[in-house]
Amino acid sequence: MSKEIKRPLSNKERINLPHQIMPLRQAWERVNNFAEVPLGYSDEQAVAEAQRCLQCRKPHCVEACPVGIDIPGFIKLIEQGDPAAAASKIRETNFLPAACGRVCPQDKQCQAVCVVGRKNLPVGIGSLERYAADYEREHHTLTPPAIAPSTGKRVAIIGSGPAGLSAAYELRVKGHEVVVFEAFHRAGGVMVYGIPRFRLPLEIIDEDIAYLESLGVQFVYNMVIGNILTLDDLLEQEGFDAVFIGTGAGLPNMLTIPGTNANGVYSANEYLTRINLMEADKFPEYSTPLFQGKKVAVIGAGNTAMDVLRTAKRLGSEVTCYYRRSENEAPARSEELEHAKEEFINWRWLSNPVEFIVDENNFVKQIKCEKMVLSEPDESGRRSPQPTGEFFVEDCDTVVMSLGCSVNPIIPSTDKEVRINKWGVIMVDVETCQTSKKGVFAGGDAITGGSTVILAMGQAKTAAAAIDKYLRGELREDPRVPTDPNFYVKDWQLNNGHAKNGKQKKVTA
Amino acid sequence: MTERIEHIVKHIHFDSEEEVAKALDHAGQLQDLTYEEKNDLAAAFSIIFYHHDHAGITAMGKLAIRAEHLIAGFGCDVVPFLLGELINADSESAAYLGKAIALNPCPNVDALLQAWEENWDDDFAGINIIQTLSYFKDPDVVKAIPQILVACKSANFQVRAMGLYTIGKLALRLDPGVFSEELLLSMFDTVFTMLADSKPLVRKNAARSLGKMQKRGLLTDKQRLQVLAAFKAILGTDGQHNWDRAFIVRHEAEHFLPLFSSRPAMGDRYRQSFKILAKKELCEKTFHFVIEAPMIARKLKAGQFIIVRPHDHSERIPLSLCGWDVDRGTIEIIVNTVGKTSAEINALQVGDRFIDIVGPLGQRSHVQAYPDTCVVIGGGYGTGAIIPTAKDLKALGNKVIGIVGARSKDLLLMTQELAAVCDEVMITTNDGSAGIEGFVTDALQQVVLREDVSYVLAVGPVPMMQAVSKLTEPLAITTYVSLNAIMVDGTGMCGACRVSVGGKTRFACFHGPDFNGHEVDFEQLMKRQKMFVKEEREALYSVEA
Ligand SMILES: Cc1cc2nc3c(=O)[nH]c(=O)nc-3n(C[C@H](O)[C@H](O)[C@H](O)COP(=O)(O)OP(=O)(O)OC[C@H]3O[C@@H](n4cnc5c(N)ncnc54)[C@H](O)[C@@H]3O)c2cc1C
Ligand SMILES: Cc1cc2nc3c(=O)[nH]c(=O)nc-3n(C[C@H](O)[C@H](O)[C@H](O)COP(=O)(O)OP(=O)(O)OC[C@H]3O[C@@H](n4cnc5c(N)ncnc54)[C@H](O)[C@@H]3O)c2cc1C
Ligand code: SF4
Ligand code: FES
Repeated sequence: MSKEIKRPLSNKERINLPHQIMPLRQAWERVNNFAEVPLGYSDEQAVAEAQRCLQCRKPHCVEACPVGIDIPGFIKLIEQGDPAAAASKIRETNFLPAACGRVCPQDKQCQAVCVVGRKNLPVGIGSLERYAADYEREHHTLTPPAIAPSTGKRVAIIGSGPAGLSAAYELRVKGHEVVVFEAFHRAGGVMVYGIPRFRLPLEIIDEDIAYLESLGVQFVYNMVIGNILTLDDLLEQEGFDAVFIGTGAGLPNMLTIPGTNANGVYSANEYLTRINLMEADKFPEYSTPLFQGKKVAVIGAGNTAMDVLRTAKRLGSEVTCYYRRSENEAPARSEELEHAKEEFINWRWLSNPVEFIVDENNFVKQIKCEKMVLSEPDESGRRSPQPTGEFFVEDCDTVVMSLGCSVNPIIPSTDKEVRINKWGVIMVDVETCQTSKKGVFAGGDAITGGSTVILAMGQAKTAAAAIDKYLRGELREDPRVPTDPNFYVKDWQLNNGHAKNGKQKKVTA
Repeated sequence: MTERIEHIVKHIHFDSEEEVAKALDHAGQLQDLTYEEKNDLAAAFSIIFYHHDHAGITAMGKLAIRAEHLIAGFGCDVVPFLLGELINADSESAAYLGKAIALNPCPNVDALLQAWEENWDDDFAGINIIQTLSYFKDPDVVKAIPQILVACKSANFQVRAMGLYTIGKLALRLDPGVFSEELLLSMFDTVFTMLADSKPLVRKNAARSLGKMQKRGLLTDKQRLQVLAAFKAILGTDGQHNWDRAFIVRHEAEHFLPLFSSRPAMGDRYRQSFKILAKKELCEKTFHFVIEAPMIARKLKAGQFIIVRPHDHSERIPLSLCGWDVDRGTIEIIVNTVGKTSAEINALQVGDRFIDIVGPLGQRSHVQAYPDTCVVIGGGYGTGAIIPTAKDLKALGNKVIGIVGARSKDLLLMTQELAAVCDEVMITTNDGSAGIEGFVTDALQQVVLREDVSYVLAVGPVPMMQAVSKLTEPLAITTYVSLNAIMVDGTGMCGACRVSVGGKTRFACFHGPDFNGHEVDFEQLMKRQKMFVKEEREALYSVEA
């Protein structure tokens, strides 16, 4: 497959090469099953796409990557026909390349700043990452890293989402004994119970877990830390030298309107968990039930909402999305919105739900919305939805609210030394991810109130580096953990561990 | 000798620490020293190293250490001089000279090795050089290790002992990453063989080096076991009772032994078997189980619950506890068959295992010392669920009355166990086949008429909890009900368990399960419990079919 490139292409030639479009499963086919939608690049396509990269000397894309992957470096290896080496290159900085290639919001990170994007479509960095990672998995080219000799130190990781998994990896490689405690009976966090299979096949996560186990990371399931063991238990009685909290943001926000507690009204977490984790779609072979109506109303237009819309469609329902702003303001990743739009979903933009109307058995039967209009942009350029006093009612028998999450209170409520802000988000020193409790670090959605897989991983890496220092007695003693309960980090677009106070929108907490 | 050096050297008198200190201060301030000046100063100050009278006099000892640092700071220029001195030094001065070499920023491992080569036959020079190597922090010193290993086999036992000592020091001090696998293997082989040396000092140093290597995680598991066996032999605890005669060797082995004993992987401590140790039929379709779950048992508090999955494809269902035993590491549950998953559980036998049990979940019951009587009311599995709370209330000195309700006599369960933790138990049956004919509320009515009640807890079917709350509300008696909402995760993640309490949405799994009965919206709870009736029936048929 390795293609001999006769004469090096000039930058101008590279810029003008066409973007390789990743083939997709046809919409009419995919709404009938949970198979993955994008099919991946062929070898030829990957090389052709890799040729579009200019190998910038000061690559903007690397700066825009929360973990600072050597993007031109791995793309060059793909261009040279060595995807296995490309995968190893990515693994130097990113422990979950197959997952990130699929779910990262590249359109808001590396691809948004790619130089080629100024004249043409940006280089398909995500697709290339996915290609390299898939090649590595399918051809078993992964060589495990050298593990440093045992340091005799023990670290407890709480939660097995992307944050917990990357912290576990980083610390294990440095020779520490690592035990991951997970509340569920399965590892992966949102990647298994939230993100649906057609975006992120389960085998990928399972292989990453098996890989970690092969490196000596120990997983213990069914452990709700805070309840079965407190942080003090871990540090004082169980002999752990440090703790990393990666418990995510699993406390669903609900509308407080009449009918919120009606039967058939779910949070996105419950709906997706029943299907993804408990496999309710295979009911009754799997025993977990799901009341899946004929007409599903989904509230919200973020990534999670897109996942719910597309999942409900695959279960054979007529699906409608209700969102109080317009399509332009929809926070979903653009590719997800595009894919959802191809999948025969109804859209009700500028529609604010005000009531779920129920029948005599408390089952929801209709949704009542108020029509909204957008105001003129304010100073920040944001247009807010304004009520019009006009209402409409539509039939539905299932409602899924997808309004984001807050941070789960179990750990902070069982340990008062871990300081949280008024939204319940765990506060940390942004440079080291240390919490206000000695020996306890945190990362991921637990410290942001909800963000992305890659940012969770970036914070986990920062925390892991700090934990390693801490265990060697080299970390400065006084973490700068904010004390103001109104504090939130405006912009966790950190690169190599440093949060920049930028203009990004506020963390929804 | 230049004038400024001469001026300093004049001050070095061994009867006055002050003078020497002054000389050191002075020398430390000099700038732009020439090669000659450095060597002159080194020669002058190194005399302090030989001045053995200061043994025990800490002030002069400290000055010697300062001199050591000063000379080390002169860098490469003074290394040949120091090496020359080292070769002939006595052991005490050799320590200072050695540190001046080891602390010297000049990359001098090669020079040292060369000096060793040239004086290979001089064992005393060899000892001084090996000792010097033990002070190095520069990772470059690894390249001296093969030579040190050769020295460990010297005919002179003092050379052997010093060699082993140094291996241990370097193993501990250097970053584990600098040792190649091959090198580690020969280090282990050499040191391990020396455990059988004829000289106690050598055996002792070998044992100590192995201890240090293990401490840094440099040994493989197989090597660890080899050393473990050897140390046991040294201590005579291997069954042979042929311990090492030398105390110093035994002492070393004893000190390091714990490092070699196998350490079970940390994670294994937390794996519970969830094995069923006992099963008993309490009444039709209702079984009592004793399950092995030591971690959960240790943390449970009255009122908390667990979530279980009997099999891989099962639903997660919440269950209350009717007891637990911290010492035996067991928990006890009562399961009433109502649908597919409860039926699957009741089909399990002694020796079977649950695939998952998670807990404890939820908050503790509101247990405290109340001014007046406490009443705990149970129906069905609830009779078991109120036992831990009754026990806690009793332990705090409360008067506790238990009320149990069932349709008829043969559906009563756990009444004796409840009686054991209550002052009085009242039984009600709908058909009058035992106790008071009627409902639990009839018994509660009798109690509130005859005495003051400050706390009521009701666990059981929703209509029962609702009726109890209705009765106590006008009397303003604090009343809690344990809400058995439908759940998924049990940690607050999904919101399936939401209930309306006092007009607010609450998560039964996290905020509850006990809530103020006067504020609960029971109608909504009952309807929400019927959310999956159609699907559940389908599931049940699929098991029966
Ligand atoms: C439906 C959905 C779609 C998404 N799509 C995308 C996407 O396309 N791209 C993207 O980048 N991001 C996406 N996200 C966001 C992304 O998944 C999260 O930002 C990321 O998973 C956060 O990782 P984490 O490790 O912090 O937490 P999580 O992934 O939430 O993992 C936390 C883990 O901790 C466990 N836990 C919680 N409490 C305890 C406790 N007390 N004891 C023990 N274990 C505990 C949980 O069970 C869980 O397994 C999506 C999120 C959702 C919900
Ligand atoms: C905190 C808590 C503690 C509990 N303790 C116990 C206990 O100690 N022993 C015990 O046997 N049961 C207990 N339950 C109830 C138990 O969880 C349900 O009976 C179980 O979920 C039924 O599962 P299934 O698959 O067997 O039946 P399904 O097929 O799911 O349901 C069968 C019938 O039971 C009803 N049902 C479903 N879920 C519940 C529920 N959560 N509560 C009441 N009825 C329900 C349904 O309406 C349906 O008609 C408890 C519930 C909670 C929330
Ligand atoms: S910015 Fe674009 S062109 Fe430049 S190195 Fe990154 S991917 Fe290649
Ligand atoms: S069971 Fe999921 S939030 Fe309570």
